Amino acid sequence: MNFHRRLLMLLVFTLVVALAGFNGVAQGQAVKNPDTLIVQSFGDPESLDPAWEYDTTSSAIGTWNIYETLVFFSGARTDLYEPMLATAVPSVANGGVSSDGKTYTFKIRQGVRFSDGTPLTAEDVKYSLMRIMLMDRDGGPSWLLLAPILGFDTQTTRDDKGALIPDIYDRTNRAIQVNGDTVAITLKDPYSPFLSILATWSVVHSKKFVVANGGWDGSKATLASFNNPAKPDVATLFDKSAGTGPFKLERWDRGTKTVTLARNDNYWRAPAKLRRVIYQTVEEFGPRRLALQNGDADILGGTDRSDQPAVTGIPGVRIVDDLAQLINSPALFMTMKIDPEGNSDVGSGKLDGNGIPPDFFSDIHVRRAFAYLLDRQAYIDQAFRGKGRLGNGPIPFGLLGYAPRGKWYEPSKDKAVAEFKEAWGGQVWDKGFKFTLSFNSGNIGRQTGAQMVKEAAEALNPKFKIDTRGITWSTYLGLYTKSKLPMFFIGWGADYPDPDNFVVPFMHSTGSFAKAQGYKNPEADRLIEQAARETDPKKREQLYFRLQELAYQDVPTIYLIYRAGFVVMRSWVKGWYHNPMFNEGWEYAYRFSKGQ
Amino acid sequence: MGTYVARRLLLLPLVAFGVTVLIFALLQFLSPAQRAALFVTNPNQLAQIDGIIRKYGLDKPAHVQYWIWLKELARGDLGWSQTARMPTSAAIGTFFPATLELTIYIFIPVVLIGLWLGTKAAVHKDRFVDHFSRFVAISLRGLPSFVWGLVVLMVFYGWLAWFPPGRLSLEADLYVKSPAFRPYTHLLTLDALLNGQVWVFLDALRHIVGPAMTLVLVEMALLVRVTRSSMLEVLRQDYVRTARAKGLAEPVVINRHARRNALIPVVTLSSLLFVGLLGGVVLAETIFNYPGIGKWGAEAAVQLDIPGVTGFGMFVAMLTVLGNLAADILYASIDPRIRLQ
Repeated sequence: MNFHRRLLMLLVFTLVVALAGFNGVAQGQAVKNPDTLIVQSFGDPESLDPAWEYDTTSSAIGTWNIYETLVFFSGARTDLYEPMLATAVPSVANGGVSSDGKTYTFKIRQGVRFSDGTPLTAEDVKYSLMRIMLMDRDGGPSWLLLAPILGFDTQTTRDDKGALIPDIYDRTNRAIQVNGDTVAITLKDPYSPFLSILATWSVVHSKKFVVANGGWDGSKATLASFNNPAKPDVATLFDKSAGTGPFKLERWDRGTKTVTLARNDNYWRAPAKLRRVIYQTVEEFGPRRLALQNGDADILGGTDRSDQPAVTGIPGVRIVDDLAQLINSPALFMTMKIDPEGNSDVGSGKLDGNGIPPDFFSDIHVRRAFAYLLDRQAYIDQAFRGKGRLGNGPIPFGLLGYAPRGKWYEPSKDKAVAEFKEAWGGQVWDKGFKFTLSFNSGNIGRQTGAQMVKEAAEALNPKFKIDTRGITWSTYLGLYTKSKLPMFFIGWGADYPDPDNFVVPFMHSTGSFAKAQGYKNPEADRLIEQAARETDPKKREQLYFRLQELAYQDVPTIYLIYRAGFVVMRSWVKGWYHNPMFNEGWEYAYRFSKGQ
Repeated sequence: MGTYVARRLLLLPLVAFGVTVLIFALLQFLSPAQRAALFVTNPNQLAQIDGIIRKYGLDKPAHVQYWIWLKELARGDLGWSQTARMPTSAAIGTFFPATLELTIYIFIPVVLIGLWLGTKAAVHKDRFVDHFSRFVAISLRGLPSFVWGLVVLMVFYGWLAWFPPGRLSLEADLYVKSPAFRPYTHLLTLDALLNGQVWVFLDALRHIVGPAMTLVLVEMALLVRVTRSSMLEVLRQDYVRTARAKGLAEPVVINRHARRNALIPVVTLSSLLFVGLLGGVVLAETIFNYPGIGKWGAEAAVQLDIPGVTGFGMFVAMLTVLGNLAADILYASIDPRIRLQ
């Protein structure tokens, strides 16, 4: 065979492959795996134990598919509940909430069975709440029940040295009382968001099952050995399930990073239409996209805005866009007390044109100048394809307390210049500054924002210098907690759908962002604490409106965007609906089915 | 030979010690808060970061942390790998068979094609085969493996839907996890045949072709080139001329007299290749979502999963020692002169 003939054969082969490819695309597809929902996303669950899990993936898979809560969100509403394991949603009107707003009473539904067939009792409910509160692993969700029930000075079950608080068991045991088939929870102080916390976190599991599998027996004597387990697999439900939900755990294959849920045939309502829900971790977007195209994945999780064009226009694929999300991210934070030690981010550490003093941002004019500087709509257009609403405070659009007419700084070069000229007695404008603006590397949206701030500032005055720096997430966290970052991007997603969950981290002096920034305004603290106790939604809203005014006046943080989410799925997925508390909707797959 | 092997095996604990000390030392350049990040996946957990540091002893001095780790090791516990969501020893046991299987499917074609094409190229020096093999070798090697991976995935999964990523399809996976299937070796293709399930075998094979093809394309280039140059060297030797002068048939001269002597550098390279593949082929495993040890090792390193990355490093170091030992034993069987020493 001569060279030319070989070359020709190679060409023919290439052509055949290419043509076969086009045929593959043109063929119509029947519903693949009709009784199985396959979700592909990056990230894998950390643990499937409801008392341990606090990452989005873990709770998305298990919490509301395998388990159920006393009350749950009604359809797409985050402020309206329907009874689940309780027979009614307690209110002052129906006597379920005491007149002082402290005691919530739930009648437990009869005839509900766990997936292993054992009946649900009020004792299981109490045990579950106590187990979630008292396991309290570091970095876990326990505070979400601990703080509202035992009081907000109790964020953890341990003291500063890590020793168990002696009366913590008794206080918890007293706060939750079982009487026949009712469970009564008494809060230390009235806390109006309590039901929204229960809707998300009162995850009921079987005491019998946990004890039979060597878990905590619910007694005070064994608490010390149960509290804060060292390794996640010590928690009994790490890779087992004992819930009443429509699905049960069939297998968590940690080798292939696949979680398989199977229909619970003992379910108390009509059984789920799907036989299985499978969650597969696929780190790379490319393979995920191909799986969606080939029908091997039904829903793609965690698709970035920048990847949206790549999934647009695939036959048989549906994109639902403009979904409300209870996320305030990213926002631009300024640190008022920067730790200057060994910190190159502040340059010389002085206001000499080659750095900034550690309290540079404590001057309100500096903060306002940056607020005027950034064209936030341009940022949303550029980084989020225009999908989102301008931010104006800690509470995102869609929650009570979001201030639709709340003021914020309109972009204005003149006003920015004026503020800079006033800052530090005119020294900022005359001498200039130099500092580092950071974002966690890999986050394109934040990188874009950093670049825009840099360009806007440097165009204003040639003596202004901002370095932008992408830092890996781990390093970022370390620098952030030590108040090393002068200016940085970070964000917050709802633990439960209530404004209190946002205003505390952003604006309360003990909140994790405000604390790291060194922001403290007694008026803000007072408003936040008062609003948390207030039960009248109208009055609460007014308090949050005033808090928004403080966010505007003090501007420790430049709010940027309340993002709109989108979900990518095969159009054969039926029964999907959106609740803003959840990202992709399959977190509660009970009503889902597949069909043309 | 026996003492030689024993001496080499005695090196293993020493290598393990060196590697783990090195990894621990490197990790000390990071602050405790940085290392705590492994346990903080969302900003909502930030308030509790001090507790995390205390709990995992991240603020203790390096030698104390290493000592704790050693004590756990003495109990046969390599620690909890947060990235694998299981104990480190279990992670190695889970991910290694998948990589071993993939390695076998890469290594055998690479060696066969490499030897065959390399020999051909040497024998037909400056002819078409030679130019062609050089062209193929350089162009395949020229692009990084993730580019080939994406191309293979695009063509054979995206267009043709022949070779999907992952390790098994849905049905096969459910079957393999059922009690009916007995995992004798954890090499899926082999287990499928041992269980008499040809369809599972084919399914597993379908999933292995993508990453295997990608790496065969990339890795064979080097072997072709080394075989060729080594063969050229040998073909110029006097004993080859003698063999030809004796009137031996050309295939006998090439295959028996020449190639055997050209094998030494090929064996060295192959053993390095084999160990390298076993240590994990991160990019191919990631692109094809193949649950191998390299993907885990890389993730552990990136996320600062200390027990994970230490265990992984130790394991790979031992593989390297063993791989070199195997190569040495092979030399001896190829070249009697080495045996005599």
